[in-house]
Amino acid sequence: MEFSWNQQQTEFRATVRDFLAQNLPDNWESIAHGPGSASQSEFSKQFCARLADAGLLVPHWPRQWGGREADAWSSFILAEEMWAAGEPRGGQYMNVNWIGPTLMRFGTEAQQQRYIPPMAQGETIWCQGFSEPEAGSDLASLRTKAEKQGDHYCINGQKIWTSYAGEAETCFLLARTGSGKKGISIFLLPMDTPGIIVVEIPSLIGEGDIHEVFFENVMVPATAMLGEEGQAWDIVRTALSLERVGIPRFALASRMLQRAVDFLKQRDRFHSGAAEQAARAKAACEATRLFSYEIIDQRQKGITAGAEASVARVATVNCERLVAEFVVEHLPETLASGDPLLLAHHQRGIVAGIASGAAEIQLNLIATQLLQLPREPR
Amino acid sequence: MDFALNSDQITLSSALDKLVSRYLSPPTDFRGFCLTSDTLEQELEQGGFFEAAQIPELGPVAAAAMVERLARLPYTVEAALSMLLSAQLEGDWPRPFAVIEHGRPGRFVAQAGTLIILDGNQVGITRASPDLVESMDSLYGYPMGRLKSSAVYTPLSAADAANVHKWLRVALAAEAAGLLQAALDTVIEHLSVRKQFGRPLGSFQAVQHRMAESTVLARGVRLLALKAAWSEDAGDAALAALHAQESATRVVYDLHQFMGAMGMTLEFPLHLWSYRLKALLSELDGRAGQAKAVAALCFN
Repeated sequence: MEFSWNQQQTEFRATVRDFLAQNLPDNWESIAHGPGSASQSEFSKQFCARLADAGLLVPHWPRQWGGREADAWSSFILAEEMWAAGEPRGGQYMNVNWIGPTLMRFGTEAQQQRYIPPMAQGETIWCQGFSEPEAGSDLASLRTKAEKQGDHYCINGQKIWTSYAGEAETCFLLARTGSGKKGISIFLLPMDTPGIIVVEIPSLIGEGDIHEVFFENVMVPATAMLGEEGQAWDIVRTALSLERVGIPRFALASRMLQRAVDFLKQRDRFHSGAAEQAARAKAACEATRLFSYEIIDQRQKGITAGAEASVARVATVNCERLVAEFVVEHLPETLASGDPLLLAHHQRGIVAGIASGAAEIQLNLIATQLLQLPREPR
Repeated sequence: MDFALNSDQITLSSALDKLVSRYLSPPTDFRGFCLTSDTLEQELEQGGFFEAAQIPELGPVAAAAMVERLARLPYTVEAALSMLLSAQLEGDWPRPFAVIEHGRPGRFVAQAGTLIILDGNQVGITRASPDLVESMDSLYGYPMGRLKSSAVYTPLSAADAANVHKWLRVALAAEAAGLLQAALDTVIEHLSVRKQFGRPLGSFQAVQHRMAESTVLARGVRLLALKAAWSEDAGDAALAALHAQESATRVVYDLHQFMGAMGMTLEFPLHLWSYRLKALLSELDGRAGQAKAVAALCFN
């Protein structure tokens, strides 16, 4: 067993930190009013273009698409440093982590040529049209319909909770072309197609984060379908396995915990009760860090993580929660005004157990897959 | 970063697995609180397992992994301090090791060759002798003992005392990791078999979620313990011990809850692990002690 970084990994982390030191403006933390806000999206396009120039946007991608085939550790170190800085890539982290790689695997040449280069240049924002009013954790019950009409599909229906929809140029859309799980297809849908209406939902997370998206007779050419008709479920499962360890939220949680402790120490408020609570949160953050590294270690060795990824996700939710509770109890001024990154962390923390698979679903997976407990009758 | 054991560590772990394969189940007629085995102890001695981790290729990670493995057995043996602390002490101190904290009863005190004394801010060490200690009955699944009178000990320097504290924390976390896993395993088996309302208890989501949460905690303790053994860092040791005590509190309650009345019997072995975990809860000043250390060591 080896818990240290090798020289190459240490140097890579230093490179990313240097880049951040030089390219994140001093007022960056107040630019991001919310991860999907117009100002953040605008900023991300300049920032990601610079990342791309420095070879730090898609280092783990194949050379053909502008990457250098960096290993799983490099892409995770990159993700840790970006998230710990408050995720200046905004919604573009999705392109880099899974939308791009999914298109490389399942897209037609025309789709790849159209969509991948702008992602590799950091110029484009995508949104993910998955959840619907009646299809959240039970995604397979989605109803948005795509009806074949000649060489087009006509899309009608509604998505909800769609992040970045207000700023996105393209939507990775799931729509029903038949019945059951095998009746769902994926469309790569330009958001300026007539018939799409985006309505922002004011939220606790920040400006421009979640939306309703309505589709009214939206005509999309059949060539916009990713993969075969009815292949969505398989593609999404593969796509999400690229992303299963999830966002390295522990990196920002850990950093914000330290920041909150610093504030308290400066104000002589780090008393024993606060110290105990901070210590518990720190232990949870460090356990989560190790769970995540264990999965990356497996990925590096070509092993796809099973329910271990759900263990990491649940641990992530726990540590986010402990840090958020610590901050709100001992540094209540955070939610009123003050440090923008601490505030942003608190706002985004609420998402940890909900986005990309509710924590309860992860617990189901741990119970049935890892502990082999009998499934609940349905 | 590599979470796999190296080839030497794998060889050692296979040898230990083979040795313990004869000790995986308690005797069918066992109805006691504390289960020990002289032959297990002898086999570990003869096989050189207590000193094995002093070989550089094996190291404290291998020791922590062995402690975790042994703690999963229904039989208890003093392995944690022999394997993780002993090599840190100057001089030749005979095993088994036991800790006397604030003059209270402790695990393995009556069997100990060496006593570590935690007395206020001081840490001391002394040889144990039969006239100094006595065994006592307890609910804890360990052989418990106490001092008959106050012990005369050699105080350690502040640096050595800190080092002892560090390794006691690693030892506690590694032991707890094994106990948590074994306790979970035994309850999972019951939940898969026992039916109520026509279906296995383990198919109820209310049960599944709490078992899953307990699993997350137990696995976290194991990784933190191994990391601390590897890094030999006092902060890592405090994090591991804190997470161990924190998790034990929660997991022990839930597991007994899910066992229902069967878990109250001495026939079902859950108490062998759960009441050992209870013994660990108060050690090294409990969660507050660990949290204080984390706060001092892990924040800039």
